[in-house]
Amino acid sequence: MQWFQQFAAFRCDSALRQLNSRFVVRRLLQVVPTAFGIVLIGFLLVHLAPGDPVAAVAGENGDAAYYAFMRHRFELDKPLPQQMATYFERVASGDMGTSYVHGRGSLSLVLERVPATLLLTGTALVLAIAMSIPLGAFAAGRPHGARDIGISAIVLTLYSAPAFWLAQLGILVVALKLGLVPVQGMTSAGSTQTGLARALDVAWHLALPALVLASQEMAAFVRLTRAGLIDELRRDHVRTARAKGLTERLVLFRHAMPRALLPVITVIGARIGQLIAGAVIIEIVFGWPGIGRLMLEAIQTRDTPLLLALFMTISFAVVLANFITDLAYGAFDPRIRVR
Amino acid sequence: MAHSIHGFESADLVPAIPPAGVATLAVRNALRRPAAVVGLMLLGLIAMMAILAPWLTSFDPFLISGPSLASPSLAHLMGTDAIGRDLFSGIVFGTRASLLIALSVGLVATICGVTIGSISGFFGGIVDDVLMRITEAFQVLPRFFLVAVVIAVFGPGIERLILILGLTSWPILARVVRGEVVATRQLDYVLASEALGASRAHLIRHVLLPQVMPAVFVMLGLMMGQVLLIEAGLGFIGLGDPSVITWGTLAGDAQGFFRAGWWLVFFPGMAITAAVLGFNLSGDALSASIQGR
Amino acid sequence: MRREQIVLLWILVSLSVAGCTTDKSIARPFVAALTSDPGQLNSAITTNGGVHTAAGVLYDGLVELDDHLKPVPALATSWEIEQGGALYRFHLRHGVRWHDGKPFTAADVKFTFDSLLLKYHSRTRASLSSVLLRIDTLDPYTLEFHFKRPYAPLLQQLNVEEAPIMPQHVFQGVDPLRNPANNAPVGTGPYRFISYSPGSEIRFAANNDYFSGEPAIKNLSLRIIPDASTQVIAFEAGEVDWLYGVPGPERNRLRQDKRFRVVQYPGYSGGSNCVVTLGFNLDRPVFQDVRVRRAVAHATNRQQVLERVLFGEGRVADAPISSGIGFAHASDLQIPAFDTATAKTLLDQAGWRSGKPGDIRTAHHVKGIPEETPFVVGFTGMPGQTKYGDILRAQLRAVGLDLQVKPLESAVFAETVFKKRDFDTAIISYCNGTDPEIGVRRQYVSSNIGPVPFSNTAAYRNSEVDSLFDAASSALDTVTRKRLYHRIQEIAVRDQPYVWLVETLNTVAFKARCSGFSNSPHFVATAHCAN
Repeated sequence: MQWFQQFAAFRCDSALRQLNSRFVVRRLLQVVPTAFGIVLIGFLLVHLAPGDPVAAVAGENGDAAYYAFMRHRFELDKPLPQQMATYFERVASGDMGTSYVHGRGSLSLVLERVPATLLLTGTALVLAIAMSIPLGAFAAGRPHGARDIGISAIVLTLYSAPAFWLAQLGILVVALKLGLVPVQGMTSAGSTQTGLARALDVAWHLALPALVLASQEMAAFVRLTRAGLIDELRRDHVRTARAKGLTERLVLFRHAMPRALLPVITVIGARIGQLIAGAVIIEIVFGWPGIGRLMLEAIQTRDTPLLLALFMTISFAVVLANFITDLAYGAFDPRIRVR
Repeated sequence: MAHSIHGFESADLVPAIPPAGVATLAVRNALRRPAAVVGLMLLGLIAMMAILAPWLTSFDPFLISGPSLASPSLAHLMGTDAIGRDLFSGIVFGTRASLLIALSVGLVATICGVTIGSISGFFGGIVDDVLMRITEAFQVLPRFFLVAVVIAVFGPGIERLILILGLTSWPILARVVRGEVVATRQLDYVLASEALGASRAHLIRHVLLPQVMPAVFVMLGLMMGQVLLIEAGLGFIGLGDPSVITWGTLAGDAQGFFRAGWWLVFFPGMAITAAVLGFNLSGDALSASIQGR
Repeated sequence: MRREQIVLLWILVSLSVAGCTTDKSIARPFVAALTSDPGQLNSAITTNGGVHTAAGVLYDGLVELDDHLKPVPALATSWEIEQGGALYRFHLRHGVRWHDGKPFTAADVKFTFDSLLLKYHSRTRASLSSVLLRIDTLDPYTLEFHFKRPYAPLLQQLNVEEAPIMPQHVFQGVDPLRNPANNAPVGTGPYRFISYSPGSEIRFAANNDYFSGEPAIKNLSLRIIPDASTQVIAFEAGEVDWLYGVPGPERNRLRQDKRFRVVQYPGYSGGSNCVVTLGFNLDRPVFQDVRVRRAVAHATNRQQVLERVLFGEGRVADAPISSGIGFAHASDLQIPAFDTATAKTLLDQAGWRSGKPGDIRTAHHVKGIPEETPFVVGFTGMPGQTKYGDILRAQLRAVGLDLQVKPLESAVFAETVFKKRDFDTAIISYCNGTDPEIGVRRQYVSSNIGPVPFSNTAAYRNSEVDSLFDAASSALDTVTRKRLYHRIQEIAVRDQPYVWLVETLNTVAFKARCSGFSNSPHFVATAHCAN
């Protein structure tokens, strides 16, 4: 991994020096109205929708007085602008309302599910990159050769398949037929393990869902690595390195790879939205206790405060990821900073 | 760039080519690639299925035409579902609805994206700033989540689906178009025709738009693939519209039959994968040929 | 690190992980699969089925119901009914302790009813609050329920599902909807709470102080697995020991597997004896003619619905009241049989004609309908019920009627159907419960037409039926009630405001080496597993 250290030390250092604070502040200011807009859209969407959330909480056989009582209990009998004003006030102080179903703060409900989703998406992302770079390099070795076309075909097909379909085929073959990994969940039932044993238990449960999610993410990374490398291998400094008599492997990893991987790093942030959408489906199939599962339950039980908290958390995550991506672009690519 | 599928900021990568014959050139280039041929063949096959649906099958996909959960046979090429409806005719007729959704979303997104992108790029300044901020706000909306919430609370409906996906899918197009327009405007022949007194409307319609269309088509291909996947995902979590047969609703209906009727899970997933692959391969090849690589 | 080394390390890690965790049978708990995360575990403040399933083992009711729905002692050991059914006196069990060690007394029961059940448990509130006068505690082990008028079905509504008893010392003075105890509950039931990992797992341990003996299965884990197919796969892979439900097509395969037992249960109390019912919106002109309603009933092949939607688990409904309520069910009624010829004749007579076979029928001199209007009606249902719409659409097309299936998520369904009444037909699984008073009355009486969900869907108005229900609810002897309910069903079949399709059964599956499960929320408390 020397190339990466070298690359990181050199690149980040010089980049950060160049990244002026005006650019950061300007970018940050653009985030604020976007975030406000998201809260507004979410609130209106959920509150203008037909259907009485109380009906979902109360279930069958309530009488009219019961529903009026419950509506009052949840402050649903106030006029909409008043509900909205209260809501914005509360959000500003970090309170996203009490979940109807869980009877607890909805933000804390979301946040306690975030680690599981982060673990899944993070592992998938790392796996995807770890698998893509060698594949991309392998494909770049002989552009338009058989192995290039083969690799492209495989990653593009994985990318084109519905997530639930891949997940179910994976469960059927890897978990059930071969018995290599468990079918579902994050830990073994009733396990009281701690420390390393627990970490291994989680890793064992994580392997298949993360692999399925990763396999869908590979297309972009393989493509970028391949294209970047083909580009770089033609350049002067690589030619010089070759002329110096360095081995092809050294040329590849020390001279071509660092620059070729630049777009890979900056594209990660841009994938967050899609990654979360994929994770939602994967979590449902594998019974992984993350925010995707929470979202499905919130939709089904019409848990408005929880739905809003989820909507905002996901949106903010995407905004933040885009913000960081833009900063990274700005840092590494002077053209954008000037703009 | 958040939804640029392969991470390219196309505006940066697409070099400016004079407008004459740019589209035909791109297509001719694309056709020399095996990936493009496969992609177009897949799309062609699917288009044929959509057009010829009534002649390909003798069964009404909504009616009971066989025993419950019959496995694939000569009578029922892809088997039957629990109710006894023919899956093959479901897939064949589902092609129509699925393609209709993808194309309509593409149309809505193109209209919004091209309009906003070309205005933004052409006028620049404060108009550009405001429009791009709006574009960014739309771009970060979690699309799948938004559609799921709307369908869940308002009930399923194809028009609803098309509208929401269309209205949230345009930002990438707007950015691509804007980038193209900005780049093209700087070219000599554009500056020249502007100096010669060509009207803005004329410039946009006859000079700039032909230039940006290939890039738009690339993005459209990739976007329509994504629309099919989103539609399938909605079907999977039970938010499909049962009064219309689409690949997504077929995949959703199959969920309880994972083991008892593998064909119900397998074939819809297969159809979706093939179509999305078709869109992606065609879009890719077109994009590569524009970039001249 | 080199690539080869990374790959090697990964393989090693994977192997060691797989190797050391496959041997996990030691001290493994009994695992049941839950479909949804209950969110909280206080079943006195909600009728949410998920909460009741998950929290059932924690609590007790005053009585339990045996397989014939006869009340048997639980927290109450005996009871007397006086004043012709307007006074119930209960004698409570001595020496029962809450899971935190505090003694259980009559004050807990009174508190549970007054502060929790009668406020927040929608079924118990709806049925009791209007007739119950007050609850008196005579001493720590005796209490009385006083009613305004004789009330027959009380004992059917006191089991753990309808009236779980909660500890007063935990809930007093704290908002019950936001009480932390809802997530760390205290009960008297056969299992006590250990831990709750949201979205993942709830753990319980046997209550060694349980009044009817400590359960043989010591550790219980409820795993949350939302996808029904995944549940079955996890069951087959040995990760799960009990399924509360089995998707229809998987049942036969599981049934043929010697490792498993697949058993039908009628379900318990409030969620029991469910009849899947198609309701006509009688406010719509198209359904005001009883011939049209009868035609739909004749065009419906209920046997096929049973076979292809329920995969045979259940029975064709042959009366408005479920066969599960034996005394009230009328088995001798002539409800319209599957007969497309009769259906077509009735439609022709009603003015709905078709040009050629297979075409959708159109209106000819039908009151309230413009000429030539095609017979296209909506079929509204909650997402889980759309499969009935799929098959009914296919069946009704055969007589020239067209259905448009519209799934609506529960809150929207409730508002659309019961508040706005904006629907043509609606599918509802009416759970009759353990007495017609619980789950049948609400479906027919004219005072119960909207806006409350799951009320009188059809907007059926018949004053004779109204007064028959009132008479039946205060009559205490079964013979009189049986006669009254029989008359109600005759009238309902004549007027056909609904098509009663099928009675559903609950299917559970468990490991063949385990046995002794009960048909109650305490299912596992009486069971044991051979090793």
